[in-house]
Amino acid sequence: MAADPVSMGMPGVNLTPGDHTCAFYRGSRQRDDVLVPFLREGILSGDKCICVMDDPNTEPLVGPLSVELDIESCLRTGQLELLDTDHAYLPGGCFEVERMIEFWEQGFHAAPDEEEYPYIRASGEMTWALRDLPGVELLVGYEAQLNRFLPKHPQAVLLCLYDLERFTDAQLLMGLLRTHPKVLLSGQVLDNPWYVDPDEYLADRP
Amino acid sequence: MSAAELDLPHHLGRELLSTMRSLMVLGQLMTQSAGEEQVLGLAVTAVPSLASCRVVSVEPATSAPRPSRLAAQLASVGAAGGSIELADEPWAWAYPLSSATGPLGYLVVAAAVEPSGEEQFLLRALAQQTGAALANRRLHDQENATAAELSKVNDRLRGTVDALQRSMEIHTRLTTVAVSGEGRDGIARAVHELTGLPVAIEDRYGNLRAWAGPHRPDPYPKDPPARREQLIRRAQRAVRPIRDGGRVVALAHPQGDVLGMILLVDQLGTAGEQELMALEHGATILAMELARVRSLAESELRIRRDLVDELLTGTDEESALSRAAALGYDLQRSHRVLVVEGKGRCDDGDVLFHAVRHAARDETAGTLMMARGSQVVLLADVEADWERLRRAIVRELGDGRARVGVGERCEHIADFPRSYHQAKLGLRLLPIAEWNDKVVRFDDLGVYRLLAGIEDTDEVERLVQRWIGTLLDYDRQRGSDLVRTLSHYLDRGGSYEATATALIVHRNTLKYRLQRIRQITGLELADPETCFNLKLATRAWQTLSVLRS
Repeated sequence: MAADPVSMGMPGVNLTPGDHTCAFYRGSRQRDDVLVPFLREGILSGDKCICVMDDPNTEPLVGPLSVELDIESCLRTGQLELLDTDHAYLPGGCFEVERMIEFWEQGFHAAPDEEEYPYIRASGEMTWALRDLPGVELLVGYEAQLNRFLPKHPQAVLLCLYDLERFTDAQLLMGLLRTHPKVLLSGQVLDNPWYVDPDEYLADRP
Repeated sequence: MSAAELDLPHHLGRELLSTMRSLMVLGQLMTQSAGEEQVLGLAVTAVPSLASCRVVSVEPATSAPRPSRLAAQLASVGAAGGSIELADEPWAWAYPLSSATGPLGYLVVAAAVEPSGEEQFLLRALAQQTGAALANRRLHDQENATAAELSKVNDRLRGTVDALQRSMEIHTRLTTVAVSGEGRDGIARAVHELTGLPVAIEDRYGNLRAWAGPHRPDPYPKDPPARREQLIRRAQRAVRPIRDGGRVVALAHPQGDVLGMILLVDQLGTAGEQELMALEHGATILAMELARVRSLAESELRIRRDLVDELLTGTDEESALSRAAALGYDLQRSHRVLVVEGKGRCDDGDVLFHAVRHAARDETAGTLMMARGSQVVLLADVEADWERLRRAIVRELGDGRARVGVGERCEHIADFPRSYHQAKLGLRLLPIAEWNDKVVRFDDLGVYRLLAGIEDTDEVERLVQRWIGTLLDYDRQRGSDLVRTLSHYLDRGGSYEATATALIVHRNTLKYRLQRIRQITGLELADPETCFNLKLATRAWQTLSVLRS
């Protein structure tokens, strides 16, 4: 039986549990247009939400969520984890693929009572990868590796947030298209025809 | 173009449809992309995934002549695109980046072997998609630019409206002050409330006239006159308020006549456009207020002058009393008319008037006065110490000179012309009697007063002719000074020494003159009766001189 769809919080826009989705947007306002309903819907549905932000100003995110939700309580109980990229993607000032996969592994298993949370919604704002730091060049490979990892966690969805105003390199964008099975574009979740199986994709890489 | 049209096997048709979906996703990504370079970059990167060929270049469409051979070929293939020739490339094609307004450029690809029909179809579709995304991007950028421009215009408009509203508020607040009669204090308070800065109003000379706000200096500092004039000249030249140290200054100068100054105390230099606007409006209202006050003062002064003029020339009692009542002045008190002559260090006619006004105010001698020619007439409503008043006038003149004639007391309106006449008479006697500057009270004039009171001056003339007529004729004919010599001699009781000193002549000259007087008149000067009559005759001659002048 097919799993229940995971609503993005926008009418008619759903993910399937286990989805690894690339969300393209322009600017922080469009980012919040995606992220706020995604998290609001998750909290209202009783899902665990892990949100990793590169933008230190989280007010545009937390403010609208606080209008109808008790965010303080969600943070306290751990239903919502609001993390920054320095601690999630770049501890020690560098990026390591295995460590990051382990981070998600722990995040998906650390829920105190998995029965309590029907799904785990994870999101990562990816602009950290544009910093001049060791390991950021492994970004696309990491995204491919996630496609091997996520099928082990069918209760989770992972939304990777890419700002088209910041990620301007067409080669990199094509790489991202090839490593995400789903793509969120213009308010639509699409099965990505550019997607390449991780084994095939990683085999082609030096 | 469908798979059937392309004459493809069924499984290839499905593959083509899948590739078309890829193109659609790519097209959406291009549509959402951040710029033209990103769109073109995605197109170039996607080409190897769609066909077995390589991208030679992406050429922009331009109306300007292009020098290269490739450019010339692109110009000839037009909107449909087509085959082109490139060195060492067996197959090369230019696909137009189509848009509603024509191609926006060309995707130029090349291959060793001509790609299949479906590959070429996909390349054409990619180029079309890219053209549409570029056109969309440009439209979007144009809209953004228009929106940004509109936003800027709106901001400017909002700024203008805000400034106008602020200006209206300032205008309304200060107009309210102007019509409510709150005067300088009200203006200073309003400008302080509008600016949040301490406000001072000074007169032309730098004396504080009003203050609003905290930290009022005590004593209030005053610039030296030269610096003050310099500041006023600088402010007059400027169109807007000027900064003077920690102050911002605006002049109240209706019709160019500087009546005062309003200033913001702004040590930190925080005053901006709105504060300057409030200060300018404040200066305008202050100018109106000061002009109004001055106009009132001038009107009152004119009414006072007219009243004094009427009293001196003679007027009916009722008219004078009603005018005085309009001024709140009690005319039905005992008065004396004083006539003052004087001279300060400079020859300004107003100086004597202001000196008398200030001295009369300080000595509480009277408030009704007017300038008449070189003299100032004061109607004194008290019996003051006149010599003290004269000295006060001299002081006010800056160590100048002043002499005062005081007429008899006026108990009725009709007495003023006579008292005025007496005061003038006393003043005229001063030079003739060769008295120093002093107060001449008509009451104290003794024989002069008696002589001046005789209505039949012919009788007085006869007395003069009887006793000193021959001397007067002699002086007239010879230009000599015998009558004056005789007068001084008799006034000094026959003292040669005192008379020679007073006349500033040698004792022998005096003796000679007295001898000539004895010879011409045939009179013995040692005789007491003769002495008395001669003395009376010289006084009478002086009185007649004054009366005739």
